[in-house]
Amino acid sequence: MPLGLRELHKSKAMSMRYRLSPIALVVALVLASCAAPAVRPPNPPLETRAISLMVFGEPAEKAAYEELIAAFHTAHPDIRVELIHIPSQRDYQRRLSADFAAGTPADLVLINYRRYANFAARGVLHPIGDYIAANSDLSLNDFYQPALAPFYWNNELMCMPQNLSSLVVYYNKDLFDQAGLAYPTNDWTWDDFLRTAQALTRDLDGDGQTDQHGLGTDPSLFRVAPFIWQNNGDLVNNPSNPTRLSLDDPQSRAAVAWFVELQTVHGVVPDAVAEQAENSESRFLTGRLAMFLNSRRGVPTYRTITTFDWDVAPLPQNLRRAGILHSDAYCMTTATQDKDAAWQFIAYAVSEAGQSLVAKSGRIVPSRKAVAESPAFLDPQTKPANSRIFIEHIEDIRAVPVMSTWVDIEEIVGKEIERAFYGQASVDEAIRTAITNSQEYFELAVR
Amino acid sequence: MSRTRHRSPTDWGWQLVAGGLALLFGLPLYWLFTSSLRPAGSPPPRTVEWFPHAATLTNYQRIFALAPFGHYLLNSLIVASLAVPLTLLTASLAGFAMARAPVPIQRSLLLFSVTLLLIPTAALWLPRYILFARLGLLDTWLPLLAPTLMGSNALYVLLFYWSFRRISPELFDAARLEGSSTFGLWWRIGMPLVRPTSLVVLILSFLAYWNDFLTPFLYLKSESRYLLPVGISLLHQMDTTQFPLLLAGAVIMTLPALVLFWAVQHTFWYEGRFSELAHTDEV
Amino acid sequence: MNRSLILMLIPYGCGALLLVLLPALLIFALAFTTYDGLAAPQWVGDQTFQDVRFDPVFPIAVHNTLIFVGVSLPLRVLLALGLALLLERRRRGVRFYRAAIYTPTVIPDVAYALIWLWILNPLYGPLTLALRAIGIDPPAWLVQPETALLTLVAVGLFQIGESFVVLLVGLHNIPLEYHEQAKLDGGGVWQRFRYITLPLLFPWLLLITVRDLLLLTQQSFVPAYLMTGGGPYYATTTLPMLIYAEAFDRLRFGHGAAMLLLQSLVIAVLVLVGVGLARLILWGRSV
Repeated sequence: MPLGLRELHKSKAMSMRYRLSPIALVVALVLASCAAPAVRPPNPPLETRAISLMVFGEPAEKAAYEELIAAFHTAHPDIRVELIHIPSQRDYQRRLSADFAAGTPADLVLINYRRYANFAARGVLHPIGDYIAANSDLSLNDFYQPALAPFYWNNELMCMPQNLSSLVVYYNKDLFDQAGLAYPTNDWTWDDFLRTAQALTRDLDGDGQTDQHGLGTDPSLFRVAPFIWQNNGDLVNNPSNPTRLSLDDPQSRAAVAWFVELQTVHGVVPDAVAEQAENSESRFLTGRLAMFLNSRRGVPTYRTITTFDWDVAPLPQNLRRAGILHSDAYCMTTATQDKDAAWQFIAYAVSEAGQSLVAKSGRIVPSRKAVAESPAFLDPQTKPANSRIFIEHIEDIRAVPVMSTWVDIEEIVGKEIERAFYGQASVDEAIRTAITNSQEYFELAVR
Repeated sequence: MSRTRHRSPTDWGWQLVAGGLALLFGLPLYWLFTSSLRPAGSPPPRTVEWFPHAATLTNYQRIFALAPFGHYLLNSLIVASLAVPLTLLTASLAGFAMARAPVPIQRSLLLFSVTLLLIPTAALWLPRYILFARLGLLDTWLPLLAPTLMGSNALYVLLFYWSFRRISPELFDAARLEGSSTFGLWWRIGMPLVRPTSLVVLILSFLAYWNDFLTPFLYLKSESRYLLPVGISLLHQMDTTQFPLLLAGAVIMTLPALVLFWAVQHTFWYEGRFSELAHTDEV
Repeated sequence: MNRSLILMLIPYGCGALLLVLLPALLIFALAFTTYDGLAAPQWVGDQTFQDVRFDPVFPIAVHNTLIFVGVSLPLRVLLALGLALLLERRRRGVRFYRAAIYTPTVIPDVAYALIWLWILNPLYGPLTLALRAIGIDPPAWLVQPETALLTLVAVGLFQIGESFVVLLVGLHNIPLEYHEQAKLDGGGVWQRFRYITLPLLFPWLLLITVRDLLLLTQQSFVPAYLMTGGGPYYATTTLPMLIYAEAFDRLRFGHGAAMLLLQSLVIAVLVLVGVGLARLILWGRSV
C-alpha cells in the first residue's frame, strides 16, 4: 500500500508523524530543498510550555477568550497558550475533522455537546476524569448537572463544559413600546407568542412589503426541538438509544407544523428572499426585527447595539415547559503532548476567576453555579437585564441525543425543515424525507 | 496586407457592440468598487444608485481593524512572490530541456505533458491532502508551493517548450562553440529570447496562486499563516450583511491581479502567426 | 541526451510524479477502502461504491453537475467564439476591448463570488434594483431552487478569458490568403465563416472544449461553496461539494474517493467521446 498507509493506525500523536517512510523522506527533502526558506516560523524557545486552544465564535467572543488567556498567562507564566479562532461553527466542525484526520489537532478544543461524540467514539479525545479526581480544588458538584451530563461517553467524562444556555427570545424593547405591547412574561404561551409576533410584523411604508418582522429564527432541527418537547413530542424514538427519527409522531408533527406556519401561514418571520437579502440576526441588530431566537451566544454581539434597548425572555410554553441545552466544553485531544499544561488551562478556564472573565463578556451562562449566581453574570448594569431567566429555567433544559452521527442527522433534517419553513415542501413531505434520509446515520452511529 | 481605416457605418456599429460588451464585462467590477464605498451599516439601497451618496473610504480602514487583514495580504504576497519565480524557473528549465532533447525523447515528453494536462489536478485535492497530511506538512506553505516543482502547470512547461523550439538551433550551436554550458545556453541565449512567454507565464501563474482559494483553505490552520482569500471567506461567514466592508476586502484582493494584468495585457494579444515564426525542423 | 538536460527535467518529473500521478493512483486505492483518517484504511472491495449508490444525495449531485457542465460548456464555447470573432481584427480600441473581456477572469474566485452575491441580492442588489427601475421584477435568482444552479452558470460565463485568448490565437493563425481568395470567389461573410474559419478553427475549439470539460466540474465548487452553500435544498450541490462534505464533514475519505473516481471516469468518457467525434468530423472533412 502506498506510503505505508497501513501503518497510519499507529500514527497517533507524534510517533508516526516524525517516522517518515523512505519515499516520504525523499518527498520531504525534494519539497524542502525547493521551498524551505521563509516557510516555517521559528520554533518557540524550548523552556516555555506551549499549548494551543481552538475556539469558534464571533469577533466579540474571540476577545473574551483572548482576555481569558491573558489572565491565564499571568497565573501560569510558564505556559503559553496559542489561540486558534474560527468564526463559523460549520467551518469549525470541518476544521476539527480535518485536523483529527491529519493527526494534528489543537491541544485543547472547544466543542459543542452535539458535536463531540463523533470524536469521542474515535478515541481522539482524552478523558479528564482522572485529572478531576486528582484536583482537590475542583468538585463536579459545583457545576450544573445538565451541562455535565451529555459529556459522559461510556461513563467517562470527556470534556469540561464552560456554559449551559437555553434557547431564549431576544426582543427589541423599543419596538414593543412603539406597538404598545407589554413585554413578554415568564409564562407566556404559544398563542401569546404568535399574537405578539403578528402585532410586530409591519409594512411601514405601505408598499406591500413587510419592512419589520415580528420574529427571526434559523429554520433548523435544533431550533424547532424545544417546541416539539413542549408539545409532548420527541425528536427520536428512544432518546437514550435512538434508532429512528420520530418527527412523524402526531405531537412532534404538530409542533413542527406550528413552527413552520410561523413563516408560511403567518408571515411573521422573513421569507426565503428576505432572509437571503439580509439575515434575521442582522435585521434584529438594525432594529427591523422584533424578536430573535438565540442562545446566550448572541449577547457579546448584541451588547454593541446602541440604537435601541433590548432584553431576553424565556421561550413561550405550550403543554409543558421545555428548553434546549446549548453547551460547549473544553476537550483535551489524545494527541496533546503536554497534557498537564492542557489540564492546567481547563482548570483555570472553569475556575471562578476564569469563568467570571468570560461571563463578563456576556458570552456564556457559566456552568459553575457560584459564578452563574454572581454579579459577573447577573450584573444588572449590563444587558440583558433579565439574565436571571437563563438560570431560572435550567431545570426545564433538555438535551438532544448524544450520538456520533448526530451532526449529520441534524444537517439532513435541517435541510428538510428549511424547505418546509420556506414553503418549498409540505410539512409531511419534509418529515417523510427527513426520516428516510437520516435513517442511514442512525445505523452508522458508533455507540 | 493593408487594412484601410475609414469610419464606415459598420465600423461605428462595431464600436458600439464592442463597447457595449466591454461595459457589460466591466459592470461587475464597477459595482464592486462603488459598493465598497458605501458606508458600512448604512441602510441598504432601495433604488438604483450609480454612485453611493455618502461615498467613503472608511471601509478600507475598518477592514484592517476588524481582522489581521494586513497580515493576510502580506502572506499572500509572500506566497505569490515565492511561487512565481519558482514556477518560471522550473517551467522554463523543463521547457528548455524538452526543446533541446533528441526527437524521440521530445515526443514522449510531449505526450507525458499532454497527459498531465488531461488530468484535472484541481480534482486531486483529496488524495493530495492525505499525502501532505501524512508528511506532516499541514499548516505550512509547502503544500501551496509544492506545485511549483512541476512548473505549477504542464501548460506553462509546454508554452516554454513551444517558445524555445522557435529559436534557431544555429544560435545555440554558436554559443556552444564558444564554450557555453547547457545551463548557460538556457540562461543567456534562451531566456532573453522568450521574454514574452515568460511574461505570460508570470501573469498566469501569479493569478493562479493569488486567486486560489481551495488550497490555502484546505491546508492552512493558523490564522498567522492565512492568505487573503481564506481571510475574506472567514469574514464573509462572520457577517453576511456588512457587504460594503466585505467588498472593500474584495477590492483589495482584486487590485493586484487587475493592475498586473492591465500592465502586461499587451503580451496577450499576440497577433503573429505561428507558421511565420516556428522554425522549420518539425518534430 | 546530456546530463544537464536531464537535470533540468528532474523537478518537473518529480513534481508530476508526486503531485499528479501518485495522488491519482491513491484515489484508486482509497476508493476501495473505508478510511476516516484516524484508523488504518480497511479494504472493503466495492462496498464504498454500493454505499454511494444508495446515498440519496449522490444522484442529485450527479444531476446538478451534469446540468452545470452541460449548460455551461456550449454557452462558454459559443460566447468565447463570438467574442473572438468580434474582436479578432485590428481596429481602433480593440486591445482595450479585449482586455475588458478578459478582466473578470483575473478576479479572484472569492472576490468574484462576493461581488455576485451582492449584485444578485434579491432586495438590495444593484442588478435587482436596476431591473426594477426599468420595470422588470427579477426572480430571487439564488433563492429559488429552479434558478440557483443556472445563476451560477451565468455568473461563470463572464470568466471565459482564457478560451477567448486561445480562440484569438487560433483565428490569427488562419492564413489571410484563404479569406482573400474566398472573397475573390464571391464568398459571403457566412460562407467564409462556414467553410474557412470554422474548419480551421476546429482544433482550437476542440482544445477549449476539452479544457472546459476537464475543469468545469471542479470549478463549480467555489461559487457553490461561497454563494449558496449547496442550497437551496441541494439545488447547487454538485459533486465536488458532496465529495468535500463526505471527506471533511463525515470523515469518509474512502467514499469521497469512490465518488471522485466515478466523477473522473464520467469525465474521461465524455472527453474520449468528444475527441473521437471531433476526429471523425475532422478526418471526414479534411482528407
